[in-house]
Amino acid sequence: MIAELPALPLHTAGKYVAGAYIVLFALVLIYVAIMGIRLSRMERDLGELLELAAPSPDGEGHAREPGAGAHERDAAASSPEGEPESTLA
Amino acid sequence: MHGKALRTLSISTVVAMATALALVFFYAPLEAEQGFLQKIFYVHVPLAIVALCGFVLGGLLAIQHLRTRDPRWDYRSYVVIHMSLIFAVGTLITGSIWAKGSWGHWWVWSEPTLVSFLIVFLLYATYQPLRFAIEDPERQSRYASVFAITAGAFVPMNFIAVRLSTAYLHPRVLGSTSNLPAPMALTFLVSLVAMALLFATMCKFELAAKHTRAQVRALRRRLAGEADARRGARSAAPSLQHVTAMAARVQRGAPPTSHTPGSR
Repeated sequence: MIAELPALPLHTAGKYVAGAYIVLFALVLIYVAIMGIRLSRMERDLGELLELAAPSPDGEGHAREPGAGAHERDAAASSPEGEPESTLA
Repeated sequence: MHGKALRTLSISTVVAMATALALVFFYAPLEAEQGFLQKIFYVHVPLAIVALCGFVLGGLLAIQHLRTRDPRWDYRSYVVIHMSLIFAVGTLITGSIWAKGSWGHWWVWSEPTLVSFLIVFLLYATYQPLRFAIEDPERQSRYASVFAITAGAFVPMNFIAVRLSTAYLHPRVLGSTSNLPAPMALTFLVSLVAMALLFATMCKFELAAKHTRAQVRALRRRLAGEADARRGARSAAPSLQHVTAMAARVQRGAPPTSHTPGSR
């Protein structure tokens, strides 16, 4: 049969208490990290949608192929001229 | 839609959490028997209470879903149960840490409180696989609601059964809170409110994120003529396209069933 142990000294109990509170902190932190990943994914999707919604050079509405902006972005990123513009700017 | 409430909830949660931590470490006195180790009480017990209440709330929301056939209730039920499961993981881990410090063992199989909580946790751990196993969104939400109601009814029954048990080592929290000294009781109540606010905030964030994602998907389909962003992707989460379409039908007063092939 298990009985309750006498109170642990502070230096021993401290690590258990710290452990318990770190668990709570870690749970919240993991959740925030997951939300951050989701948010960045959504931001990327919105950027692509903005590119789709942008008028094409020939003056027609949203006639651009889905993903065309991504190719342009890649090309801009690899070109020595400079940075691609932010899709959310 | 969610922005204003989210901001208020988030600020309230941060304030409540900071207050609770300050009370735990600077106000609440040390307990005579367990000393500093008893500080785990202020995180473990609120986590457990909020998790169990969340499971029951998930069942109540599922009842509302079956009554109205409005899939938004199923969606809320899903998010609440999902969050409760996370809180239950926190309860099990913090409880094990407390047990190790207090009893010298990480887990005691002869202790009904611990084992019953583990049973409840394992029961709800099957909720997501159940949803994932059903492809048709309508059947998925209906079966998930029945599960949530049955399991939600099991939680208080389980709680009562454990309290009727005579041989236990685990302290009876709800029966002995009135015996707590006033500073400890106040700290515990503030911790409980803070944990409940954290739960509500996380649920609200989850709902807002999924809602926004569904809107982005809908916009993508409209702009790019994408056939179906979700095609081929089975998910345990309720389909928000389905939720939005069914909710619109409910608001128009039309019957919410879509008679999709395979639905029974």
